[in-house]
Amino acid sequence: MANKDVMIEKLRSMLGDDAVCVDDKYGAGVVSAATAPAAKLVEALGVFKDTGFYLETMTALDFQDTQEIVYHLNCFEPMSRMTLRVLVGHGVSVPTASGVFTAADWLEREVREFYGIQFEGHPDPRNLLLPEDADYHPLKKDFGKVHAYRTRDEIYG
Amino acid sequence: MADQFREPIVERVYTLNLGPQHPSTHGVLRVLLDLDGEFIVKADPVIGYGHRGHEKMGENRTYKQFLPNASRMDYLSGLLYNHGFVLAVEKFAGIEVPERAKYIRTVCAELNRISSHLLWFGTYVMDLGGFTPFLYAFDDREHILDILDRVSGSRLTYSYCRFGGVCQDVDAQFVDTTRSFLKRFRSRYHDYDNLVTKNVIFIHRTRGVGVITVDQARQFGVTGPNLRACGIPYDMRKIEPYEIYDRFDFEIPIGTKGDALDRYRVRLEEMEQSCRIIEKALDRMPGGPFWNEAAAFKVRPPKGEIYFGFESARGQTGYYLVSDGTPYPYRCHIRVPSYGNLHVLTEVLRGTMVADAISILGSIDVVIPEIDR
Repeated sequence: MANKDVMIEKLRSMLGDDAVCVDDKYGAGVVSAATAPAAKLVEALGVFKDTGFYLETMTALDFQDTQEIVYHLNCFEPMSRMTLRVLVGHGVSVPTASGVFTAADWLEREVREFYGIQFEGHPDPRNLLLPEDADYHPLKKDFGKVHAYRTRDEIYG
Repeated sequence: MADQFREPIVERVYTLNLGPQHPSTHGVLRVLLDLDGEFIVKADPVIGYGHRGHEKMGENRTYKQFLPNASRMDYLSGLLYNHGFVLAVEKFAGIEVPERAKYIRTVCAELNRISSHLLWFGTYVMDLGGFTPFLYAFDDREHILDILDRVSGSRLTYSYCRFGGVCQDVDAQFVDTTRSFLKRFRSRYHDYDNLVTKNVIFIHRTRGVGVITVDQARQFGVTGPNLRACGIPYDMRKIEPYEIYDRFDFEIPIGTKGDALDRYRVRLEEMEQSCRIIEKALDRMPGGPFWNEAAAFKVRPPKGEIYFGFESARGQTGYYLVSDGTPYPYRCHIRVPSYGNLHVLTEVLRGTMVADAISILGSIDVVIPEIDR
């Protein structure tokens, strides 16, 4: 059984059937997308790690009503990229995943400086790409010139 | 009196600032090394000197306006990034591409991969003290730049691929010069092997140096030749075949130990595999249109998101695009391979000597502006 099938089963039993959607056609470049509550985030990433996945990248999205962190995970097998999403309200912090994947150390530093999302328990919360004294969050939609600032439902609704 | 003979207080660990403009590091990489004698206790890469805000720019420009940005992230494999961005948007917006364009793009992308590996080869051997191979490599690379310059109009930051094809057709001269380049390059390949791969000093500087284990690779998200040197045949061209890579028969070279020598061998062998792809693509290149030009002017992907992964010269690269249904992306995130490849150094460099650090940094092949974006 391929890693991705094992993982989908595990996610379903952990987060519930509704939270996991599977796309065998690989239309959006991912085989499945799951939504996790912030409380179960570290646990879910731990399951990914134990199943043989690595953290490919993570980033955040800024909406008027909420912010969202998107984790892309992949393993060394064909067509098995998966998305794990977690909704975080503005000004709400999330637990760090750097204890699970070391790669999250830098990635979380980047998300923190560009979006202002705090990661609880991060071992080294300095700026990564921006200057040390930068007190702005450039990728937030209220910074600088932006084309549109939307609510989450306008795109994913 | 006893105080006179007390040993002076000596700080055992001191900090050395390597870079950002040190002749033996690449680009603007600055590494703060905590040293105990000549041994590295802790390595802390300080990055961000080349941050230009490409992701923010992506949100304020249409897909077409963002096209020139793509090749400026990793300027050594610009055409691969340009190609990847075009493929991502084409898949997102459902744009058809003529067969001929697919072959032209594949040939040019693989040429760019060879030129990137050649530059790495030259500078890496120069880092280790060998000056001659650098001149040979740059001579070969110059031929590729000339070929690509003639079709695309630029030497480094290409915007040759367009949504729905390429901006200019290739002619018989392109095919001829590419074929003669391949012939010439293959004869030079043996010189490289004899000059460098069998050189005793080179082997001593690379064998068993900077070993990356599979477990470390997974922890840090290491991809590309650095991962393949650990023995895992993981290449996006095979794992998630895009464009027309599934039509060619090529191998994924892998190493066994994951040390600097394996990484060197994998990259050298990859150049030969790229030659095979180019050769077959030139043989089979069909006629017909080279650009579905009508599609290029109304790029408006549907609401939603896409992640498109492809293999650049340094590893697994990806564009994560979120669309709100307008010609402007709502979010344009780029996954860059050098990110994980540099991050793993914080662990690999621990316990090695400064001289080996130079060898390891070179063998990893990082492009810093790609990380900074």
